[in-house]
Amino acid sequence: METSIEKSHHEAHEAAANDRVMFGFWVYLMTDLLMFAILFAVYTVLHGNTMGGPAGRDIFSMQLALLETLLLLTSSFTVGLGMIAARRGSKSHVLAWFGLTFVLGLAFLALEMKEFAEFIHEGHTMQSNAFFSSFFTLVGTHGLHITSGLLWMGVTLIYVIKRGLNAPLLRKLALLSLFWHFLDIVWIFIFTIVYMGAFV
Amino acid sequence: MSEIAHGSSEHGSAKSYVIGFVLSLIFTFIPYYIVVNKVLSGDALLATILAIGVVQMIIQIVFFLHLGRERKPRWQLYFFIGTVGAILVIVGGSWFIMKHLHYNMTPDVSKKLIEKEGIGQLGGKDTGACTGAYTLHNVIIRDGVVSPVLTEARYCDRLVFINNDDIVRDITFGAQENPEDYSGESNVVVRKGRAKTIILNQQGTYRFYDNLAPDVTGIFSVKPADQK
Repeated sequence: METSIEKSHHEAHEAAANDRVMFGFWVYLMTDLLMFAILFAVYTVLHGNTMGGPAGRDIFSMQLALLETLLLLTSSFTVGLGMIAARRGSKSHVLAWFGLTFVLGLAFLALEMKEFAEFIHEGHTMQSNAFFSSFFTLVGTHGLHITSGLLWMGVTLIYVIKRGLNAPLLRKLALLSLFWHFLDIVWIFIFTIVYMGAFV
Repeated sequence: MSEIAHGSSEHGSAKSYVIGFVLSLIFTFIPYYIVVNKVLSGDALLATILAIGVVQMIIQIVFFLHLGRERKPRWQLYFFIGTVGAILVIVGGSWFIMKHLHYNMTPDVSKKLIEKEGIGQLGGKDTGACTGAYTLHNVIIRDGVVSPVLTEARYCDRLVFINNDDIVRDITFGAQENPEDYSGESNVVVRKGRAKTIILNQQGTYRFYDNLAPDVTGIFSVKPADQK
């Protein structure tokens, strides 16, 4: 039989383990942020080198960028609500909120792919000039993160359906939500520097 | 549930997420409104949208990530502050250095003076410099078809030749039997899949054709800037 002292000891141990995992993931996020910072620096330096081709202000659609921002922002909100549901232990709410997040993320990705396809169709590829090289690298790297986040989310949700909300899965969901909020913050800077910055 | 609820960084209530979401929406629409309606311009615009971007980041860090509300020692917060410092050095430093390097190393200085600084006269000669607002006209060449065939533009507008074909286009001004210069240039080479912009700083109606495939041809006409 477990005494209350043993139980609280066990809880403290579990909490410390969670803290370590959280911090480890946080270190990964910060190094990822540094990588994005370097891509931003490259874009800032090279965005004017269009070799006579159109510049950002000539081709970017502000409506599209706004729509993408709203989708990602809303998904960052729904993933937060999903985490609250997870801590309450409500499996159906977790599936609903994370499912909604997944759909919003997918819609964001679809819009981004549409934009890329239009640029490429108009003859603007990564090889066109330094502006497009740095643009596709920066925005594409973010899109790749969104893609892997969606894969991760899909797999985790399948586990939630199969196994219910156990402790390791709750930890995974917490990391996933952290990752998703992080991607939203990176996008805020893409929206600001790449899209709105083009009209300065 | 308690062992998980107490684990790791503090988590927010639904209220904190709602506040964060509403504030984020507000700070998304404000810069969008400023940019689309051209409320500000130049450095003031850049400073404003960057400041709002930073505010937006802080909102999300506080209300979504709940940074700084973890138990002491706050390693996540310290690590974050250190990363932000490194980012400021990388982005700010690159921008600062490259801006100056770039400006002073542009190979064709006179071209820079004419196009960027808007020098109207050089050595007593009119340079035809164009400054200020302009409209962009795309001329798309795909499968050997020029579209639109006729482009009507105004003085100082920009014409963009977009070559969507898999061969290089040597856009030559004038008619095939009678080539003529446009704004001091006889031709513009547009490599496959690329685009090239010319500044329409010479008025009149001009033909152009691909020197390598003369049936690829079009016309552009440049009217005075004020004529609607």
